[in-house]
Amino acid sequence: MAATFVVTLREGFEAALLLGIVYACLDRFGARQHYRWVTLGGALGLVASVLMGIAVTFLSGPLLDLGPDLVGAAVIFAAVGLLTWHGWWMSRHAHAMRSDVQRRVAEAEATRQLSILGLIAFTGVFREGAETVLFLWGLMSQTAEGASWWGLAGGVLGVLTAAALGWTVFRGGTRLSVRHFFAATSVVLLLIAAGLFSTGLGKLQALGVLPVTDALWDSSALLSDHSLVGGFATGLVGYRARPTLVEVTGYMLYLITAGALFLGGRRAIGARSGSREPTSSS
Amino acid sequence: MIGALAAALAFSALAAAPGVVLAADPQSEVVLVIEANRFQPEEVRVKAGAPFVLVVTNRDPGPEEFESRELRIEKVIPPGKTVRLRMPALKAGTYPFVGEYHAKTAKGRIVAE
Repeated sequence: MAATFVVTLREGFEAALLLGIVYACLDRFGARQHYRWVTLGGALGLVASVLMGIAVTFLSGPLLDLGPDLVGAAVIFAAVGLLTWHGWWMSRHAHAMRSDVQRRVAEAEATRQLSILGLIAFTGVFREGAETVLFLWGLMSQTAEGASWWGLAGGVLGVLTAAALGWTVFRGGTRLSVRHFFAATSVVLLLIAAGLFSTGLGKLQALGVLPVTDALWDSSALLSDHSLVGGFATGLVGYRARPTLVEVTGYMLYLITAGALFLGGRRAIGARSGSREPTSSS
Repeated sequence: MIGALAAALAFSALAAAPGVVLAADPQSEVVLVIEANRFQPEEVRVKAGAPFVLVVTNRDPGPEEFESRELRIEKVIPPGKTVRLRMPALKAGTYPFVGEYHAKTAKGRIVAE
């Protein structure tokens, strides 16, 4: 039971976290009436996962050898693009959310952002969705053939726990002030996107699209990929105990570039409000 | 023209020599079978520095995910199906893999030497 619980919890956690964040974003934008776009994106992600799971069981030959991997890589890079866009957008508009008049202007712009939030929900669910669907399906068929219920119960419980964690992130997010919410979300999204980016590069290396490079270091003694915590760190922020040169370079480049993009706007705002403060106090 | 043809012929003759073929042959296959939630064999030995194809067949009634964190592979194999994974040239060393869906029993390793 514990083994199946960990598998589905790990695969569902990233999706739950992203859903929690985008729902909370809508709440902070004052656009709760648009929750349905995120719900729609998540639901379509689930449908796509089931279809992908069905497709995989019917495919064979080169389509099975390469197809799912190419789709997987495409989803990863699409998610990186969407998260980058979202982080950049937040950094530009965070300050506009602080006063009520500006808030209404920002709301109007936020509605344009909704399709992006829906797409983030879609890629978040779809990324590990097909694997989770196939895993649960395997557990169900085993249970039907007389295996104990514990395995299946663990798998279902893992999905539910991931959902509960996503709900907690959402509740916590909606209780933060707008400023703190944007700051916290920017950092979390930055780390997730950087991890996804380097994971995508690693996949391309495994597929032979990018040249294979040696591991730059080995921290498996400190935190192994195969440990429980290491597994979660791999899924969430792209941790690798033996990262390749390409993965490390990609991760750093992404952090620097997107970090400047995400936090640059905020620094400019900070500078502006900082220069205003002395005048008001004098 | 004739010179180029002769050179090409000489090259193909060279490529056909046994020692050369092994290193450059991308079709060199290593076969793995999943049965009763275990890999058969649990250890495969390959030549370091030579790419190969890992052919994995799932004979179990449920799906399995062939996963190697070291090799960045996560590949679902539906019941009764075979997948061919093109593997890059590996440096000498041990590369563990697991059947993610039955990680307790489905364990193995590729040893490149």
